[in-house]
Amino acid sequence: MGRMKDFRLYVITGENYHPGRTLREVMEAALRGGADFLQLRDKNASKRELLEKAKMLRELTRSYGVPFVVNDHPDVALAVDADGVHLGQDDLPLAAARSLLGPDRIIGISTHSIEQAREAQRQGADYIGVGPVFPTGTKPGRAAVTTAYVAQAAAEIRSIPFVAIGGITPDNAGEVLAAGATRLCAVSAVVGSPDPEAVCRRLLARIEECSEAKAAGAGPDALRTVTVNGQAKPTSAGSLWELAAQLGLAEKRVVAEMNGAIVPKAEWRTTALPAGATVEFVHFVGGG
Amino acid sequence: MPQVIENGDPLVIGGRALSSRLFLGTGRFPSPAVLREALDVSGAEVITFAVRRVNLDAVEDDSMLQHVEDGGYVYLPNTSGAGNADEAVRIARLAREAGLGHWIKVEIAADPRTLLPDAMETLRATERLVKEGFVVLPYTSDDPVACRRLEEAGAAAVMPGGAPIGTGLGILNPYAIGLIAEQAGVPVIVDAGIGSAADAAQAMELGAAAVLVNTPVAKARDPVSMARAMKLAVEAGRLSWLAGRIPKKKYASASSPAEGIPHGFGAVPAEAERAGA
Repeated sequence: MGRMKDFRLYVITGENYHPGRTLREVMEAALRGGADFLQLRDKNASKRELLEKAKMLRELTRSYGVPFVVNDHPDVALAVDADGVHLGQDDLPLAAARSLLGPDRIIGISTHSIEQAREAQRQGADYIGVGPVFPTGTKPGRAAVTTAYVAQAAAEIRSIPFVAIGGITPDNAGEVLAAGATRLCAVSAVVGSPDPEAVCRRLLARIEECSEAKAAGAGPDALRTVTVNGQAKPTSAGSLWELAAQLGLAEKRVVAEMNGAIVPKAEWRTTALPAGATVEFVHFVGGG
Repeated sequence: MPQVIENGDPLVIGGRALSSRLFLGTGRFPSPAVLREALDVSGAEVITFAVRRVNLDAVEDDSMLQHVEDGGYVYLPNTSGAGNADEAVRIARLAREAGLGHWIKVEIAADPRTLLPDAMETLRATERLVKEGFVVLPYTSDDPVACRRLEEAGAAAVMPGGAPIGTGLGILNPYAIGLIAEQAGVPVIVDAGIGSAADAAQAMELGAAAVLVNTPVAKARDPVSMARAMKLAVEAGRLSWLAGRIPKKKYASASSPAEGIPHGFGAVPAEAERAGA
């Protein structure tokens, strides 16, 4: 547990998502954007190549003060003084990895059910991954566990951090957070973006909004998910006016449409915001 | 005709008298400051906008209205982004809810590569929006029949394109634009395709009541100067149209009198002399 510290945005490498850009530039962009946990995952590289990448990322993450783990390879992790490893359900068993790495290094475990989560917690995992929440190209063929498992993990896994993973983007992050996640992991949404830094900022903004909404409301139960301009957002707002105010739009010249019908601004205060509502806020932009 | 010019030659659309026949789009300018200056020098009174989602990640990027409010403009939001009449009607209603008037430019693109208008859906949207009390200015193809149908549906003006949006190809079918201008009972505004001041002047000389430009100003090397050039071109083209161009002739007719040429200057050289020269 020595090297473990809490985090919010966990980013995993995925070089196949950024042909033409180096691993270093993409991961550094993610770190600049606020990623505060980084994992090297490369199922295709030779061990020697993996070692070189791990060395580079170790140096980079250290300069940002961010924990760094290597997927699947305790020997590589030790060789570059990584903070630990991340293991799948079919990788080296946790106890074996622990005996190699010692008590201080981080061991994270991927879990796909609450049973696996309990087991990992019992065996001394330092954190777990919970997913894939949505279908993802990173793990083709694996059925998504949906946000239902996120909600279970949020209710039960209290002694170690869990991070939601799998197909998470800034647009659907709200749903995952509303289900109870407080940490998010992204791969393709970040490293496959032309601007990984901006995507990280947006994901962190989602996490921030959700924690503010929880703090403002009576607790997670008071949160409802609504879709605003195409983004799922957990909110404690009871009226359209409150939602607009939370988004910083109440005083702006914007037009609101809820569930397909325009709501005149004078009625925002008296218009209740039902769970699942679809809201559009539009305004004038330059155009011909 | 001279009287018309002396009376200020206003353009009346939807009951509103306009002194400028240049409509300016507000998209793609290098900065709000340049847009503002271009608007000032263009003299435009009608300016167009698009309706879009607020960017929730940057709400401080306020709508661009903040840069042009208090300018006394007539706001002409467009329905760009709509692919059919339903979407255009929805966007028009959203635009009206902003409380800045009830003019709407119907713009329904049928093809993403050319952005050419879908005349059928444009007609449907125009019919519905007219019934809802909008002042409807449909952007349509340079088709005299389509323009006539739109006029019958209650359009306050028709806006045939000179060429696809943003291409700067100029007026590809001057014959059609001339025909539309000749037959229309509502103002004809040439929209889209204008590339330079010459194209704007040509549109006016073909009988258009006004010209709507955006890209040729916004993307000019010097947008402010181009805005002024467009203003002058529209005025020049309008005056030229009102003044009446001369008929085209195959052979020369001297502008200087043939009489009174001093002796010894010689007359027009004979064929034989020219051949030997």
